[in-house]
Amino acid sequence: MNGPWVEKYRPQKLDDIVGQQHVTERLKHYVGSKDGMPNLMFTGSAGVGKTTTALALVKLAIGEYWRQNFLELNASDERGIGIVRDRIKGFSRLKPVGAPFKIVFLDEVDSMTKDAQSALRREMEMYTKTVVFILSCNYSSKIIDPIQSRCAIFRFTPIKGSNIIKRLKFIADSEGVEYEDSAIESIVYFAEGDMRKAINILQSTASIGDKIKNSSIYEVISKAKPQDVSKMIIKALSGDFMGSREILRQIMIMQGTSGEDLINQIYQDIMKRAMDEKMAPEIYIDLIEAIANTDFRIREGANPRIQLESLLAKFL
Amino acid sequence: MRWTEKYRPKYFKDVIGNGNAKKEIEGWLNNWKNNQVEKPLLLIGPAGTGKTTMAHIIANEFGDSFELNASDERTYQSLLNTAGISSDTYSLFEKGHKLIILDEVDGIDGKKDKGGTRAIGKIIKEAKHPMIMMANDFYSKRLTSIKPKCIVVKLTKVHTNSINALLKKIAINEGIEADSDSIKALAKNSNGDMRFAINTLQATSQSSKTFTMDDLNETSQKDNRSTIFDGIRTVLKSKNLKRVKESLYLDGDPTVVLEYISENIPNEYKKKNEIKKAYKMVSEADYYFSLARTTQNYTYWRYASDFMGIGVALAKDEKYKKFTKLTGPKAFTYIGHTKGKRTLRDNIAEKISEKLHVSKSEAISSFPYFQIMFENDELAWEISDFLSLDDDEIKRFRKKKIPKKGMTKMEKIKAENNFKEPDQSNNLVNSLDNNLKINKIKTSNKTKTTNKKESKSVKEEDKNKKTKGQTSLFNF
Repeated sequence: MNGPWVEKYRPQKLDDIVGQQHVTERLKHYVGSKDGMPNLMFTGSAGVGKTTTALALVKLAIGEYWRQNFLELNASDERGIGIVRDRIKGFSRLKPVGAPFKIVFLDEVDSMTKDAQSALRREMEMYTKTVVFILSCNYSSKIIDPIQSRCAIFRFTPIKGSNIIKRLKFIADSEGVEYEDSAIESIVYFAEGDMRKAINILQSTASIGDKIKNSSIYEVISKAKPQDVSKMIIKALSGDFMGSREILRQIMIMQGTSGEDLINQIYQDIMKRAMDEKMAPEIYIDLIEAIANTDFRIREGANPRIQLESLLAKFL
Repeated sequence: MRWTEKYRPKYFKDVIGNGNAKKEIEGWLNNWKNNQVEKPLLLIGPAGTGKTTMAHIIANEFGDSFELNASDERTYQSLLNTAGISSDTYSLFEKGHKLIILDEVDGIDGKKDKGGTRAIGKIIKEAKHPMIMMANDFYSKRLTSIKPKCIVVKLTKVHTNSINALLKKIAINEGIEADSDSIKALAKNSNGDMRFAINTLQATSQSSKTFTMDDLNETSQKDNRSTIFDGIRTVLKSKNLKRVKESLYLDGDPTVVLEYISENIPNEYKKKNEIKKAYKMVSEADYYFSLARTTQNYTYWRYASDFMGIGVALAKDEKYKKFTKLTGPKAFTYIGHTKGKRTLRDNIAEKISEKLHVSKSEAISSFPYFQIMFENDELAWEISDFLSLDDDEIKRFRKKKIPKKGMTKMEKIKAENNFKEPDQSNNLVNSLDNNLKINKIKTSNKTKTTNKKESKSVKEEDKNKKTKGQTSLFNF
């Protein structure tokens, strides 16, 4: 199998997982233990190995027939708790075949509403004997207490630069691709502890030349990075409201970026601008107040597009 | 009888408006009459501009016709079966041509009418008969492949005066007492839609035999956009509390009105601080609308209405003395226009999400990387094969097609691999032992045909087995 390296080089065993020994060592004790496996919750930022760990653990714990006894769902994709519930229920109702128990892996639980989480909690209680839940999320603070108290929580730390370097070099060597050491270091810098991002940059760079060069890393990064948010903010700051609003709509509708994500990106951009002394602190704090207000309103259920358009007007 | 049918023109000379289009269509018709084969005719125009009327007049001229419209199921096969057959068979009874009419071709449903546009393309290519198609939306994506193969005739909205004249004629004919002001108002309100104008006249006056302004006000208006626009214009132009409040007594969803207002703020207001102030009010209004919705406490609406009404109105320093062209919410039209693109995006995201164990939003954010990787022919082939992307989906990542040469090479390699690798689909019995057995059988088959390669292929098998032991875990 070839194709995306993120999948090709996904570690298959717990021991192969990079940089999360404190988690994987503890997880191994659950396998085959008399007490069975508790419900688990994996927290940590993107690309640190939550899904990989879950998949490896599933294969180890269930064994040969893991495919039949494993359900993977992404909470952020399933519209409404109804679907999650139906699928979980349909899966959990039947007894495990050829395995001690079944496993439901529910990714991005923090994107579920509180109501949906409460409903999930019921499901977790109903099948305690036959189904183990592995939940994964970026921030455990967004998970309601009753769910947290039913899970053993494992915190995944961002992967250390040295570990990412090792892995990237291993992949490049296995693929027979030459590389500059400085290029690998640049990738690690841009990846910010996100292994998936690092490998994606690595493969993208490898695809455009014979050798992974430092100079081509920057080419890839600039192509892959959404520049639009910056452009949108600059347009607004320079007084072109219509142009800025147009970009906002493109980002939201075409790229499908959510209001919350956009708020984060706008915040990062403004902060960087102020830190680089491209913006006076007085203006900065005014804008932060506006951003905070917009953030609050979007979370309260206001229309994200209209609120963000208003935010852009404040930048004028 | 419906008046729209009763007064439907029977001859070209009776059709009102669209003079140029009429000439073009007549020319097309005459060519057919002289047995000169012509491209199909594609009539595009908004509702009530005379598309169906034109088609029926033409149908009369031909004598024999066949019609399909949006309510019929139009999957690829059923289109070919019905329209397709009639397009290459001649009528038994008449020697003349048989007209094919396909109404609402832009309304072909992407899912339910699978392959519909493709079928139309095929019928156009093979048909020996005259064909007319009708559509509403000139820019519809479904028309892109059809348009170049047709003579496109655009029909425009019928002018208010023409509608006015016809309504008067009908009123006299039907013996209805109507004052000319209310007829004029109806003509204006119907916004170029002849069918709507006639239908409204019939609905309000058929039994009473009178038609007044009151009748007009009672019937719902064809398009409350005109009144929405009046409201917005007042908000943007006036600073008078009473006038602004009254102008916003509109039917329909107030959050939609808010969209219209916010869209047009930068059209009217030109100073930064005005836009700032006005949009602050928009944001407040939106917030209180959302509060009303989430708390189910709709008293919040009154605050929201004031924010988006007088709040926005007072944001201007002075009234602008200029004509401003107002537009509908562009975000809405944008959403409509990009529907196809977004469906494509979501389909790809779904495939990535399944294979790479990520959420769809994460998958979409990784598109730029795929775009870079797809510049490489071989990798493009590998990844699209891995994700089972179809041609349209591949086009999302690279403009050029993946060259055939490389593809056949890669396909060969894949086919060989498939031959060596045991089928993974029946994973219940797919333990390693079984793998070994299957492999052995296959190797022995091979050795019969190619003795020379024997040792080599066995080595390869071994290699395969090793990697297989790992890779079989990848696929789920």
